[in-house]
Amino acid sequence: MTRDWWKHLILILGMIVVIAPFYLMVSYSFKSPGEIERGEGGFFGRQELMVDERCVSLRAPDRKDIAAASQRFPGQTENAIRTALIAEAKSACSMRPVVFNYTKAFSEAPLLRYLLNGIAVTVSIFLIQAVVALPAAYALAKLKFWGREAVFGLVLFCLLIPVHAIALPLYIILAKLGLTNTYAALVVPWTISVFGIFLMRQFFMTVPDDLIDAARMDGMGEFAIVWRVMLPTAIPALLAFAIFSIVAHWNDYFWPRIVVTGNRDLFTPPLGLREFKGDGDGSYFGPMMATATVIVTPLIVAFLLAQKRFIEGITLSGMK
Amino acid sequence: MTELSIVNVTKRFDETDVLKGVSLDIADGEFVSLVGPSGCGKSTLLRIIAGLEAQTSGDIRIAGQSVVDRRAADRNLSMVFQSYALYPHLSVADNIAVPLKMRRLSRLQRLPLAARLLPSGRAASRKIEYDVHQAAKMLEIEHLLNRKPGQLSGGQRQRVALGRALVREPAAFLLDEPLSNLDAKLRVQTRAEIAQLHRRLRATFVYVTHDQVEAMTMSDRIAVMMGGRILQCATPETIYEDPDHIDVAEFICAHKINILPVEIADDGQLHLLDRRLELSVVGAGRGVGSLGLRPEALRLAGENAPIRGHVVHRENLGAELFVQVEVAALKERVTLRANPEQRRALQLGSPVGLEFDPAKALLFDPHGKRLRQLRPTFAAKPEVA
Repeated sequence: MTRDWWKHLILILGMIVVIAPFYLMVSYSFKSPGEIERGEGGFFGRQELMVDERCVSLRAPDRKDIAAASQRFPGQTENAIRTALIAEAKSACSMRPVVFNYTKAFSEAPLLRYLLNGIAVTVSIFLIQAVVALPAAYALAKLKFWGREAVFGLVLFCLLIPVHAIALPLYIILAKLGLTNTYAALVVPWTISVFGIFLMRQFFMTVPDDLIDAARMDGMGEFAIVWRVMLPTAIPALLAFAIFSIVAHWNDYFWPRIVVTGNRDLFTPPLGLREFKGDGDGSYFGPMMATATVIVTPLIVAFLLAQKRFIEGITLSGMK
Repeated sequence: MTELSIVNVTKRFDETDVLKGVSLDIADGEFVSLVGPSGCGKSTLLRIIAGLEAQTSGDIRIAGQSVVDRRAADRNLSMVFQSYALYPHLSVADNIAVPLKMRRLSRLQRLPLAARLLPSGRAASRKIEYDVHQAAKMLEIEHLLNRKPGQLSGGQRQRVALGRALVREPAAFLLDEPLSNLDAKLRVQTRAEIAQLHRRLRATFVYVTHDQVEAMTMSDRIAVMMGGRILQCATPETIYEDPDHIDVAEFICAHKINILPVEIADDGQLHLLDRRLELSVVGAGRGVGSLGLRPEALRLAGENAPIRGHVVHRENLGAELFVQVEVAALKERVTLRANPEQRRALQLGSPVGLEFDPAKALLFDPHGKRLRQLRPTFAAKPEVA
């Protein structure tokens, strides 16, 4: 036993706190509603065949069905035929809870469409943010012009404004412009990221002036310097910013919930969770957690694949 | 023909005058060093010539034409920076190719892949590739063309920076302390190489350094700058042997020059340490001047020598011996260069007398200006009744 065991204990406790919600999410996405409600079945649940009551009630036979089926069951009473049909429906609607949860997740809501929406929105936001932030940060870090400090002061000031404070005015502006329920409403308000400008400016401050002067001597204009010199040297910083930007907007529930009211074609993945919100007949925690798992997976996979670059980006150690 | 003219250039940063009216004419193919202590404005002057900084007033002319309104890129000058300033994300070949690409290719041709797809771009790219190879061959860095700057040593990076500067055959080269990031041995070697490169290219070089040895060894002419002014611009020999100003004499020296206070009488007769010297000066008023004596201008003498003291420190460099002598009436020690054979007479603490060659004595007035009109006066000169 090392003397540092208590450090590990604290770290393990911290890890449990962080992991627990993910554990529950993934576990619930495997289990049947009964197991979730009773809190049993361990991590995977017992995976016993379960019957989807809703599916069965949708297939409940009426007079026409019974009349149509009477040929298959010759010489039986209507009641017997009905019982047989219900039994058929039950067996058709019974499945393992995992299958149930995940098929529900993709069938009840067009989750694939939501995922594509999410990719389109986050990628456009990030690309436009980069196009705006890089020249702005270059100007703030390396060019001398009247009012530069004031502009940078404004950037810092804007960092202090919480999104929720300006949500309502933003919504009104978008509504007046007739842009609610469009992709533009999801993308445009985020295209100027003061955080991005600030982060890139801090990074550009560390780029030696000689490099920029050399580029000028070599015949580059200021924009050429931004794209041909500053951008390639700033890749680690830009990656760090990409993490912040993409994670924040992929997971954003608040803003899409506000500007996308009717059109389900525009839903982003987090809005997909609403599909399983309990109405009259209780919440569908299983499919809901399956959806959540599907939403989170791309980020986690991307992180694991690019872990080294990401950490490099966050610590900004890629530059000598 | 690419002579450079700097005409009365001044530069103010906020409240400080960095350049106070600098004028300098540099001939075609000349190697001129701007040398001075840090903060003297030499780098600022170079950046103004380059067009990276705007002057407050004055004019810069290249081949007789004013370039004040032109961007740095349009002045056709190359610059080598102290930090080399190579693009870290590009290979050596691409680094050297950048100035050619920016000049020879159109915006369209510079797009990725365009160089390969457009026939015009393909020809231009081949020419660029050829020129890059020629430059690399001249600097013997062909084997490094595919590496990134991060994988190179300081000396190799320096060559790449030179290659990037010379590949497009500019009107003039501007070098801003290009050797100060190299270690001592490499610096000496590269010094010779840059001088050779200058001879081969016959191009105009403007070289900024704070190291007077670099300036002395490489330049056709040296411009000594101090406090935003050029104090003197002349050949290395003139600067060393015949400086205009006490600051120039003090700055340009391998070993610190000895500055001794000397009294100038009404008739110009000089007195050193209350002893009458066999020297007088014409056209200077009464006052206290300074006598500059380089260590090699002093020699050992007997009891009757004008300067007497005792040895307090010795530096034996093998081929020569530098001896510091403490003189009672002087605040600073006097340094003497002696032959190693004289070692025996120069033990620590032993008394020595020093005399000097009047032809090598440099006299400065109280403001530091050089007084050249020295005349020998003889001790035995008869007094006029």
